[in-house]
Amino acid sequence: MTRSSIYSLAALLALGTVPAIAQTATFDRRVVPTPGKRPDLHIPAWTTTTLSNGAKLVVSVRHSLPLVSFQLNFIGGVNQYDPAGKNGVGSFVASMLSEGTTHRTGDQISNELQLLGTSISTSIGAESGRMQFESTKDKFAPTLAIVADLVENPTFPQAALDRVRSRTIVSLTQAKDRTSGIAAVVFPKVVYTTNHPYGRTTTETSVNAITRDDLVAFHKAYFEPAHAVITVVGDVNPDEVKSAIENAFGGWKAGGSMPSFDYPAVAAPKSTAIYLVDKPGAAQSTFTLGGPGPARSTPDYYALRVMNEMLGVLFQSRLNHNIREVKGYSYGVSSSFGFGRGPGSFRAGGEIVTAKTDSALIEFMKELKDIRGPRPPSDEEMAQAKASLVQSLPEVFESVNGVNGGISSIYTQGLPEDYYQQFIKAVNAVTKDDVVRVAQKYIDPDHLALVIVGDREKIEAPLIATKIAPVIRLDINGDPIVDKIRP
Amino acid sequence: MLAIAPINPATAQKATQSRSSISIPFEKYTLPNGLTVVLAEEHSTPTVAVAVMYHVGSKNEVPGHTGFAHMFEHVMFTGSGHVPYGMHDKFTEGVGGGNNGGTQFDWTTYYETDPSNYLETLLWLESDRMGFLLDSLDEAKFKAQRDIVKNERRQSYDNQPYRRDGEVLGIAMYPQGHPYSWPTIGSMGDLSAATVEDVKQFFRLYYAPNNATLSIVGDLNTAQTKAWIAKYFGGIPRGKAITRPKVAPSGLATEKRLTFEDRVQIPRLHIQWPTVSLQSSDQYALNVLGDILTGSRIARLTKALVYDQQLATSVSAGQSSSEGVGTFDLVATPRPGHTLTELEDAADSIVAILKRDGPTEDEIKRAKAGLELSFLDGLQSNFNKAFQLAQDQTFFNDPSHSFSVDYPKTQAVTAADVKRVANRYLGKARIVLSDVPLGKTELAARSAKSTVVTDPFTEKSTPETRP
Repeated sequence: MTRSSIYSLAALLALGTVPAIAQTATFDRRVVPTPGKRPDLHIPAWTTTTLSNGAKLVVSVRHSLPLVSFQLNFIGGVNQYDPAGKNGVGSFVASMLSEGTTHRTGDQISNELQLLGTSISTSIGAESGRMQFESTKDKFAPTLAIVADLVENPTFPQAALDRVRSRTIVSLTQAKDRTSGIAAVVFPKVVYTTNHPYGRTTTETSVNAITRDDLVAFHKAYFEPAHAVITVVGDVNPDEVKSAIENAFGGWKAGGSMPSFDYPAVAAPKSTAIYLVDKPGAAQSTFTLGGPGPARSTPDYYALRVMNEMLGVLFQSRLNHNIREVKGYSYGVSSSFGFGRGPGSFRAGGEIVTAKTDSALIEFMKELKDIRGPRPPSDEEMAQAKASLVQSLPEVFESVNGVNGGISSIYTQGLPEDYYQQFIKAVNAVTKDDVVRVAQKYIDPDHLALVIVGDREKIEAPLIATKIAPVIRLDINGDPIVDKIRP
Repeated sequence: MLAIAPINPATAQKATQSRSSISIPFEKYTLPNGLTVVLAEEHSTPTVAVAVMYHVGSKNEVPGHTGFAHMFEHVMFTGSGHVPYGMHDKFTEGVGGGNNGGTQFDWTTYYETDPSNYLETLLWLESDRMGFLLDSLDEAKFKAQRDIVKNERRQSYDNQPYRRDGEVLGIAMYPQGHPYSWPTIGSMGDLSAATVEDVKQFFRLYYAPNNATLSIVGDLNTAQTKAWIAKYFGGIPRGKAITRPKVAPSGLATEKRLTFEDRVQIPRLHIQWPTVSLQSSDQYALNVLGDILTGSRIARLTKALVYDQQLATSVSAGQSSSEGVGTFDLVATPRPGHTLTELEDAADSIVAILKRDGPTEDEIKRAKAGLELSFLDGLQSNFNKAFQLAQDQTFFNDPSHSFSVDYPKTQAVTAADVKRVANRYLGKARIVLSDVPLGKTELAARSAKSTVVTDPFTEKSTPETRP
């Protein structure tokens, strides 16, 4: 293969068409093209104002298509508002707002929304909640009127509660058919215990305890303007949006307060142990390895993000490269930090072929130890981790819903309004030493909960033989099977 | 250093006008080697999306070699003649973009999104694996990817409740050896038997420029992009003409009743009727029919089964169309205390009323009201647009097919059309599949008339007797 002289692009362009010579020209295909000038990174701008009932209104204008994205966000979630012993009240309220109001039956709500070509979705998560819709520009105001009705006047019919309860119990049962569904319940129970809100999940028992009065009380306490932030993005004018919202939400009077995010302390993590849950016949074992993590407010946030990119986010991250690409034990493994207002979590894991459960655990432990110093980050890893966090921002802001998610999360997480500008600077400032330091601080191989759900008959003996940690057997609800060994 | 330039809402407002027509302006041309190129310049986000769609999928496989098209997709990420392993990730995720591939019955697609200054790099990557994949392929690389694909099969099918229903239905719906009778993921046995020599043969047959569409959407300069395409793709030789598999209709003439034992606790009913492919205009009325049956809480089946009679916790129905065939599927999960037989009877009586009376004008209006929003929403993503243009070109030789044909034809569907397709397709020729907990075959709908089947694609299972 011959190396061509510099390809004369200007000459080609001058011809106006693609000349035939281009197809026969030889050049050295081993040469990686040099990227052009990096495009400017645009962070959308927005305006904020306060409505007469005290709710905050944020508007970001984008006229490229006649679309509007609307979110009514609430600061605080089920961890702050679910009554004790009744996990699931918040999610029941979210799914029952559309079951009827004093003005519309559930069927009428469905009919009107479908004719508007849109749908309203409501979700109430651990520390924030939101109602949202996307509509064409001309359907924004009429859809807004329905949102206001759902917020102000839901009736929570008893028959609907019974139906939602039945559906939820079926879903909880079906989740136990999946090893990943079992792990999602067992891991938090092991790490935080049921003495902490993070360790409690919705169960058939908690769902059966929910009454209509619980829904009414939750709704009254939660749907209040004092902790609400409305975010609107799209083909709108901020002043018109404000008057449309004041008009639609005229009956939603000032009230409520900002929640406090006081959590009990998490008990110190126990010595590393394998928590084994039996799922007979499973084709793969679900790994969830980790423990408590720092809160979102930690000054180590940016270093942790960079560290985690190279550990278990990028396709060529250490965990995925080794366990999927080199060893072939999985279709994909990853790691993540769950950042919230209270203590967070660190998890690494994935679905591992049954026969390689022991070998995969050895490799996970090796990678978790190596990033703490034995194998410090390379220049290449640092560059890719940072670029993947920073240069991917334009795609976050590609759609009206994307922009809305990007803006609303700033407010629900209590971040500064110039967060994205700070994010870019802070990520770029992270050093290799920072990466090693936060790995040492937040990944402790001697205090990990190694939750593995799989076919015990095939995986228990090999796991014991690794001598990585003692094996403690749990049932599919995360409760100990041998009662003298409590996790 | 990065330039951070917040957009001032006041100036942005003046600078651009709302676009009301639903379309993607594009330019299409063909290189002398047969590669079809579709370009759409769009500067609202400083990214580019590149999609290369090869007109080959699992339907081009032959029995005994199922799962091959998809396994091949994995091999395409292991490096090529001049591109070492890992470069696809380094120059996508590693610079703030992303990449992936996808395989279906009818096509295999590779795609990347990146900051727009990396467009030339993406063309370098894609052209090298189109032209020079085999130069760097060896046994070790192939075996590693084969193991990963087997893990994908375990994760996405064998270890997923209800997921193997589709495999059991495919065998029952089509004659033996029919190109749509096996799943894209393939059988575990065939995956284990695949060899490097199979890979080479498959590549030479199907991975030629004359069997591919290159679609690029985003922050690009059209003239510059054309020059790069000519440079990187122009020298790749044209391949042999492709022989497309002959696709017969399903041929299902009567009702088949099947029971599949699964690692689940709650049974599920799946009814499937043979319908039409993407080539038929009846697909539009069938899509609307799906919406009328289960598209909202007041849709007929949802209202009857979930809300009024409370026999089911969920029900969904809809048309799926491939290039060669299509099916209409109805899936329902019973509420505790109710049986699959009750669900089947209730669903049948609702469908019978719709077949007798047809839908109301309101139902037709509601079913179509969300169409504009869904098309507009899709126009925001460079990746969605690149993919849509490539698929429409591949199937219809017209990158704008979705906008110029699908959209108006869906808007034109009438109540009479829906009544007609319901009567024509939702008839006696169908499969009623009961997915039941292991050992609980008595939970099947009309279990006495239902034949218990196994899934021959799963690891270690023995081939079943054909129903």
